[in-house]
Amino acid sequence: MYQMRNKVSAIVLFLFSILYLILTIKLPKYELVPVDADVVPLVLGITLLTLSIMLFFIKSTEADEEKQSPIIPEKKEDFIMILVVAILIFLYIFLLERLGFVLTTILFLFVTTLSLGYKKHISNVIVSIVVPTVFYIVFDMLLDISLPSGILPF
Amino acid sequence: MGVFDGMLQGVQVAFSFEGILFIFIGVLLGTIIGMLPGLGPITAIGVMIPISYGMDPSIALVMMAGVYYGAVFGGSTSSILLNAPGIAGTVATSFDGYPMAQQGKAGKALAIAAISSFVGGTIGVIFLMAFAPLLAKVAIVFGPAEYFILMLLALTAITSLSDGSMVKALIAGVLGFMVATVGMDGQTGTARFTFGNINLLNGIEFLVIALGLFALAEVWFLIINRKNKAFGVDDKIGSLKLTKQDFKEMTGPMSRQSVLGFLLGVLPGAGATIASFIGYTTEKKVSKKPEEFGKGSVAGLTGPETANNAATSGAFVPLLSLGIPGSGTTAVLLGALLVMGVNPGPLLVQDQPTIFWGVIASMYIGNIFLLILNLPLIPYIAKILKIPRPMLISLVIVFCLIGIYSLSFNTFDLYLLLLFGLIGYLMKVLNFPAAPFILAFILGGMMEQSLRKAMTISNGSLSIFVTKPLTLSLVVVTFLVLILPPIIRAVMNRKVA
Repeated sequence: MYQMRNKVSAIVLFLFSILYLILTIKLPKYELVPVDADVVPLVLGITLLTLSIMLFFIKSTEADEEKQSPIIPEKKEDFIMILVVAILIFLYIFLLERLGFVLTTILFLFVTTLSLGYKKHISNVIVSIVVPTVFYIVFDMLLDISLPSGILPF
Repeated sequence: MGVFDGMLQGVQVAFSFEGILFIFIGVLLGTIIGMLPGLGPITAIGVMIPISYGMDPSIALVMMAGVYYGAVFGGSTSSILLNAPGIAGTVATSFDGYPMAQQGKAGKALAIAAISSFVGGTIGVIFLMAFAPLLAKVAIVFGPAEYFILMLLALTAITSLSDGSMVKALIAGVLGFMVATVGMDGQTGTARFTFGNINLLNGIEFLVIALGLFALAEVWFLIINRKNKAFGVDDKIGSLKLTKQDFKEMTGPMSRQSVLGFLLGVLPGAGATIASFIGYTTEKKVSKKPEEFGKGSVAGLTGPETANNAATSGAFVPLLSLGIPGSGTTAVLLGALLVMGVNPGPLLVQDQPTIFWGVIASMYIGNIFLLILNLPLIPYIAKILKIPRPMLISLVIVFCLIGIYSLSFNTFDLYLLLLFGLIGYLMKVLNFPAAPFILAFILGGMMEQSLRKAMTISNGSLSIFVTKPLTLSLVVVTFLVLILPPIIRAVMNRKVA
């Protein structure tokens, strides 16, 4: 399993380094500097290329040593949960400047906490409303950082 | 200016009202963040950067340093109570701390951890006060060639000392460096890898990488482990009192490990995690009762707890006197300093003595605060572990998002944050270490610039790296750091087989 994962990541890294090298070669050249803008990227690209080949072919002893660590989602349910939260973050970013900080954050906190399985709805509502409001006031008044106010009038 | 005059200046910063207030805020936050499993000092420092934007840099640094050593101090609490280390530097603490807690002596374990941390941290600061100015004096003659090699050495050390595959650690380092090349080149003005996007012209904000790769990546794993047991309401901590016998058993490990831990902290790449493991194994070797280790030994808890806190102080030596961080966390601290317009390096002692000495002086006070927070107050603070995981997760996400947004006021950076969060998740699942990535990312830009300056001095000849004795020896050391660990590992494996 680990051997397989290493091989797949090696191939992805190999392709990435090729892409990086192509972009590097296409960079415009300057004659007068001893080390041009493309030198360091060139070295990096070639190093990554070499390392990805090594990763592919190394009969890694650590693959046997690396035990199935508990952090890898064993259940499909966990994986779906991560996906759900990632989508919620995406929605948060999308709505932040449209709805404003306070509203978006209230919605995000409540929905995320709920979907992660928190059952006490009343304390969830309280935290979801209090935290963004306090943040908004502190940032606005004490730190002079104005967060997007959005559709709310203040 | 001598150490004494310097400390006088530092004390003025640290003992001002603002100084004391922000040291306290820093160490309190550090203790809390360090205690919560999954959240580390990088997350805390990252979130604080926007808040400290308008602050006096010396006060801001004092606070952020407090978060860093506070987290190492406080990380032991969850290692002991939950067997879930709050941060990587306190993994070894759980070896003997958790068994002790299971025997109903959680209070005793917490007290031992707090006292050892205090001693390790304080002795570490004394060494820091003595060594950092000396190193700065030596480093003042360093040119771009020396700096380039030193940074390369720091990167090489962190990859060869990371546990797991060295190839993967190197790949992580190269990838971090590659991300650093995005944006406008400082010398020629060439736009590199920006895909015509103006948001990328100034490069990628380091906070995006730090919070994405560490904080958000930690969030995914908090999600997976959200149903793990929390610190229960009925759990009793027990008496915090130690006997004379306990103190007797602690003196040996404390005196040995505060020196060893500090030295390991100064070395690039080592840091608190490695110091705590080495602290544990060396104490086991010299102990008269090695059979007690792993079953709640006093020395087995004192060793790593002293070592990791001494290492934290040690890590400030290269950061303050060379401007070169040796670990992921100090790299983020450096990034924070650069955001505030402070350039750590050998000139810092002369040019901005209040920052240099202020931080050192503040660490004495910080350690005293930590002792108070972690000894009499710990039963109350430990209640924080009862925050329901779902709520904690969503709050952490919001902190990260606001942190980035209030730095750039640009949602593009937030999407990047999400992207690096997912990359961080993949790296963790596939066992690519994140520390070399962040270190390479932060050092990358400086390394490239110093390499090119060096090459300009030498008119494009690489000989500048081998003709001077200092650079040559640094090159040799870097090379050895790169090739020795795999060879040692291979020899060890053969012996075992």
